[in-house]
Amino acid sequence: MAKVKNKRNSGLADKVHMKKKSEANKKKLNPFEVHINREKLKVLGKKSKHDRGLPGVSRAKAVQKRKETLGVEMKVMNKTNAFIDRRIGEKNNQLSAEDRMIARFAAERAKQHSKKSIYNLADDEILTHRGQTLEQIEKFDDPRSDEEDDDGGKKFGGLDDDFVAEGHFGGGILSKTDAQDGAKSHKDLIEQLIAESKKRKAEKQKEKEQTLDLTEKLDSEWKDLQPVVFKKARVEEESLIDKLLSKAEKGQDYDKMMRELRFEKRGTPSDGLKSAEKQEAEERKKLEELEKLRQQRMLSEEEATAPKSTQATAKHRSADDLDDNFDLEDEQEFMLAYDKEGKPLVPEHVLKDFSVPNAKPKFNDGISDTSSEDEGNGEDEESEQEDDSSKEEKSNEEGREKESSGEEEGEEDDDDNSENESKDEDKSETEQILPKANGNVTENIDDSKETKDTLDDESGSEEEEEEDDDNEPAVKDDNVDDLNDLKGSEAESDEEIEEENEEKIGSFFDLKSEEGVKLKELLDGKSPTQQSAVLQKLIKSYDPSLSENNKELLSRLYAHMLQYVNDLFSNLRDDGEAMKSFLVFDKLVPHFYDLAHTNKVSSKKFMCDLLKEKHDKFKKNPRKVPDLDTLIFFKLVSCLYPTSDFRHPVTTPSLLFMSEILTHSRFKDAYSVSRGLFITALILEYTVLSKRFVPAAINFLRGILYLCANTSILNPIQVVPPFRLHRDVKILNLEHDCSNMAVQHKMAVKDLVDKDITDSFKVSCLLNCVLMLKEYFNNCNDMEAQEAIFEAHIKLLGRVDLDLYPNKVKSMVTEVLQHMKESLEVKTYTPLAREKVRPKALRLYEPDIQEVFTGSKSSKLSREKAEKARLESKYKKEMKGALREIRRDKAYIASVKIRQKIQSDNIRKEKVKQIYKDASIQQGELNKLKRMK
Amino acid sequence: MAAEQQNLTKMISAQLRNKANEFLNSRKHANNLADILQMFDAETDNYTPLLLTIEVIFSELLKRGDLVQEIIPLKPIDHSPEAEYTRWLNECYEAALVRCLECIWRGRTNSRLQALVTACKLMQIEGQNPLETTNGYYFPSVRLKNIFTVLLDSEITMSAPIARFQEFTEYKDVQQYGLKVLSTIGYKKSPSSIYMQNYLELLDKLLANEIPTEVKNKIKERDEDKEEKVLCAAEGKPQFKYHAAVCRRHANRCWGFACQWALCEQPRAHRRALLLLVERLMPLLARPHLATDMLCDSLDAGGPISMLALQGVLELVRRHNIDYPDMYDRLYAMFEPEMFATRYKRRLVHLADIFLSSTHLPEGLVAAFAKRLSRLALVASPEDAISLLQLVSNLLLRHPALKRMICYEDTPAIMCADPYVMEETSAAGSRALGSSLWEVSALRRHAAPAVGAAAAAVLAAVQPRPRAQPLQLAPPDVAMFDAEMKKRFKTIEMNFMRPQGMALPSNERLVQYWELMA
Repeated sequence: MAKVKNKRNSGLADKVHMKKKSEANKKKLNPFEVHINREKLKVLGKKSKHDRGLPGVSRAKAVQKRKETLGVEMKVMNKTNAFIDRRIGEKNNQLSAEDRMIARFAAERAKQHSKKSIYNLADDEILTHRGQTLEQIEKFDDPRSDEEDDDGGKKFGGLDDDFVAEGHFGGGILSKTDAQDGAKSHKDLIEQLIAESKKRKAEKQKEKEQTLDLTEKLDSEWKDLQPVVFKKARVEEESLIDKLLSKAEKGQDYDKMMRELRFEKRGTPSDGLKSAEKQEAEERKKLEELEKLRQQRMLSEEEATAPKSTQATAKHRSADDLDDNFDLEDEQEFMLAYDKEGKPLVPEHVLKDFSVPNAKPKFNDGISDTSSEDEGNGEDEESEQEDDSSKEEKSNEEGREKESSGEEEGEEDDDDNSENESKDEDKSETEQILPKANGNVTENIDDSKETKDTLDDESGSEEEEEEDDDNEPAVKDDNVDDLNDLKGSEAESDEEIEEENEEKIGSFFDLKSEEGVKLKELLDGKSPTQQSAVLQKLIKSYDPSLSENNKELLSRLYAHMLQYVNDLFSNLRDDGEAMKSFLVFDKLVPHFYDLAHTNKVSSKKFMCDLLKEKHDKFKKNPRKVPDLDTLIFFKLVSCLYPTSDFRHPVTTPSLLFMSEILTHSRFKDAYSVSRGLFITALILEYTVLSKRFVPAAINFLRGILYLCANTSILNPIQVVPPFRLHRDVKILNLEHDCSNMAVQHKMAVKDLVDKDITDSFKVSCLLNCVLMLKEYFNNCNDMEAQEAIFEAHIKLLGRVDLDLYPNKVKSMVTEVLQHMKESLEVKTYTPLAREKVRPKALRLYEPDIQEVFTGSKSSKLSREKAEKARLESKYKKEMKGALREIRRDKAYIASVKIRQKIQSDNIRKEKVKQIYKDASIQQGELNKLKRMK
Repeated sequence: MAAEQQNLTKMISAQLRNKANEFLNSRKHANNLADILQMFDAETDNYTPLLLTIEVIFSELLKRGDLVQEIIPLKPIDHSPEAEYTRWLNECYEAALVRCLECIWRGRTNSRLQALVTACKLMQIEGQNPLETTNGYYFPSVRLKNIFTVLLDSEITMSAPIARFQEFTEYKDVQQYGLKVLSTIGYKKSPSSIYMQNYLELLDKLLANEIPTEVKNKIKERDEDKEEKVLCAAEGKPQFKYHAAVCRRHANRCWGFACQWALCEQPRAHRRALLLLVERLMPLLARPHLATDMLCDSLDAGGPISMLALQGVLELVRRHNIDYPDMYDRLYAMFEPEMFATRYKRRLVHLADIFLSSTHLPEGLVAAFAKRLSRLALVASPEDAISLLQLVSNLLLRHPALKRMICYEDTPAIMCADPYVMEETSAAGSRALGSSLWEVSALRRHAAPAVGAAAAAVLAAVQPRPRAQPLQLAPPDVAMFDAEMKKRFKTIEMNFMRPQGMALPSNERLVQYWELMA
């Protein structure tokens, strides 16, 4: 059978075949037509298809098939026109008439959804309702008008059925007269009718007016409601105007309103009003998410990545790999070679591995320097410090210059925020604004003085202090006033001041060099709440959304505020002043938070620079605890940045700084001890979430307990430096009986300022120390090393003479001690063990399953080859078949052609014969005529 | 005030310069010299300009050869004005030198240092242009002796000038002659503590340049010809011959004197002596085992002194086959919280690393060390904790048996107490092997990220891969604070709860303990 070339003829053969098959099945086999094929080799269980055949039948079938396909094709060959019936399902007699209709309708619908019309939704399709199109129905006419049509529902103009039955067509007259004596005349009847209908009309009119009124009322209410529904300020204004207009022209308001309603933007469903609960829930969800992120950051890198690392990258493994993780070191192999002098050329890391620890390292810990630390020779210490400081000063100055320039460049790379700070500007500014720890702001910001200032800072600090001493009395007076101010007149606010403020705020950033001064002017002499309000106003008026460079201005403000806080807490003389500073700071913190959030990068930079500077200052004299003007920034850091992160650009250094202070400083007076406790509380705050372990703080508490306790030389309990056994004076040891003293639970501001150690100071030190110790202790609850860490504390607490302390303190301390002892008693120790690794199963290979085992050659081949062989043989077979078919096609075509030829020859012969016949007849007739003549 | 003084000194130095120039230009102004010398009598604390002037004058004179007296034997002293003048100049020179040396212990530090430098410079120039004609190499030992005498015999510590003197001991000849001179003048029966201090420091400085021992001698011989620095080298004269053996002999002699003193009574001198011994002298000593007694006594002294002695003992044990009883127990006892206060803590950690690197140590002992070190790391500052943890991880890597302290192979039995006994003085008896390094797992939660990482590294030491790394002791001035500051961060996390005041919305602790606003 020839391959079908024409598209329109595709599938023709199959159809024909199917049709005929059904007919053929009905025929009975003629036994004379059956030919039985001889079987050469009998295979058991093999179904043989070709054991018998019907040669005549199948030949006829094939011929018939060809006739219907090839024959037809031949017939239409070289003919251009053809009739094709394209009605869907027309020729298919298996389809019912209804199916045919459905199929046609579906095809029609599908045609509509062509590409062209995809956007014209419902354009061509006109929906109808009760035969009317929606457009026809939806005539936005006055609803009043169609009410009149309504009474069409009642027949006969609204007359009662009874009346109609009686009155119409005269039918009623007779019966009526018969039935009733006092019969009304026809005229009466008509009159009654008229009156009744009039009455009805009047009633209807009244009703209609009432509904109209109601509608109008509703409309006006809707107008009021409108701004609420479409919440938009502009609309509100417009609707107000509308109202005015509507007052002026009352007649038109309805149409107007209607049009408005039609074209008004409908409220989008998404921003429907959220209920308070929903908002709350959302907020909570957000916070939870942030909290989750925070928890994640708390983990170290290894912990965080631990689960991921188990999925090792797939490596090549040999089939007989035993999974014993025996790693071949072929990557690190190297060729041993020798250089010219005969030394082996070995890579660095290999050499390092084999090296013996260097026997003689260079220590620079005391050869050149003759002075000692441990002796405690006052003279020596001083001279050393002098030397050190003079050296460090120089190096620090150089270092600082370098850092400031170097850092800027580094930081810029870090900025992933899309900030449009121009680089140059930034550089010059930060240098100017950087708050200086020692100097006054007024000088620092000034550009010209900048460089000189940094040099003078250290040398000038002492002088400045002296100056401050001179100013002291004046300051004190101010303080008293301020305090009065604080307590009494927070509420009152002078309008004058406010006006002045506004002026200042307006011109705040006019002059770069005076910003710091202005801030100080703005805030000085005000109560904390007033300060807060002023700052609020200042920040609001420079909101980043208002102008482009406001962000930058605010970051500058942040730096100035840092400087302000620094100044606020430096040189505090008495507790009133300190308290005031804390109150102000309390109010400033939220603003710091806001500013830091508006510009994260620069605020972080300012904070880091500040910490660095403070740290440098501390390093110059590490024995002295830094004053509040440093410590307060640790608190600020904890307010602004998450302290629980495993690593954080700001909190980690500041925590390290604090622990450094506690390790290196000497605690031998009220000043240092109180500040130490301040820092310890802060460290507790830093670590309360992450439960990190800070030895410095715990050691400090140990030292404080040591200072409180009675220890004898004979029975010492070890302390950790900076506290020294037998050398530190027991400054906190209570000597008098204070059991009747009033207890003050918290440490007070006074303790930070006072110079001498009173009994109450000693008591509150011990109390707070013990309370904090308990928290630190609980933080370490899940560590096995807890006992090793806190053993000494418990021992020291046992040595404290609690009888001297107030009863309440005594009970609290014993309670804590009891708690610690008990929890240590029940502590269990599980030896450290590696995480149990699940034994690895031996690798299993997929079994090689052969679906049918033939034992033939092909089964031994690989899959691809077998497939190829299969395809090749199939191709060969098909080719053979196709060739045979073609041959038969050819034969058929030849037979058809020869038949045609024979036919045409026969016709020609016939015609020739006819012609001969005619001619002979003619000749005969002619001859006859001739003979006749 | 200060400015005025500065002006004054400037004026004076200008005047002095003028005078000196005049003097050097013509003999007419000879009296200028006398004037200048007289100015030393003036009460001031800054002799620097004077000293500089003297240096200029006499170095010029020495170079010119004006001071050379020609003494011809068997001839009466020449009384010609020329000779008289030379004689007078010589006298002046001597006087100036005496004045100069006086200045070493007078006045301000700067001035004192200048005096020393002037004396040494003059000595150098005199060496190059000797007063008496010599053929060979000449070194003015007398001058050096004078200088040393001044440096040693003083009421005050001379650490600053002696430290300055180090720049001269780099010269080989100064080293050799210095040792020789010191060995001649050093002996004293019962010296004061300051004398001892000065002596030891001076000896230390003289030995700052390593004296090659015999083994190295031959290898290095060739190289040293080029590098050798000689102070008093004059052109056209025979080269100075450096004898390492002579130096060693003199150094031994010097140390011999020191050994006879009661060094061990003052801790300062004791420490200085020990430092000198272990850092400089050990390889030079002819019979180092003689120092054993001193080292052992020092080892028992406790504190920083024993730490220093430990190094000496280590040297003896390693190189001189000395057996020392209870070596490891002593080392064990040194690991106390007090060690963090001493400046020798890094040295101690390093030495412990070497001591414990032997693979033949009993496991229990090493385990005790590991346990103790990690206990100490619990209270140490972050920097110290890291170095201690490194040491512990080295122990774990070198002694595979300690693995059970971090990964217990048997079914973990829950204990009710730590079997380790911290108070036990003998390391072997502390039952540490039954314990686990819980301290290290506690340190994983250290606030400083670097310490946490180091602790994690210790716990990861179970894996057989890494070898023991040599301890990397961070230089003491690299603080963790700065390291953290330099860290780069991709994002800057902020708190997400806006504080209403100083107190945090949750987990506030400062305000809980401090009443700051009432």
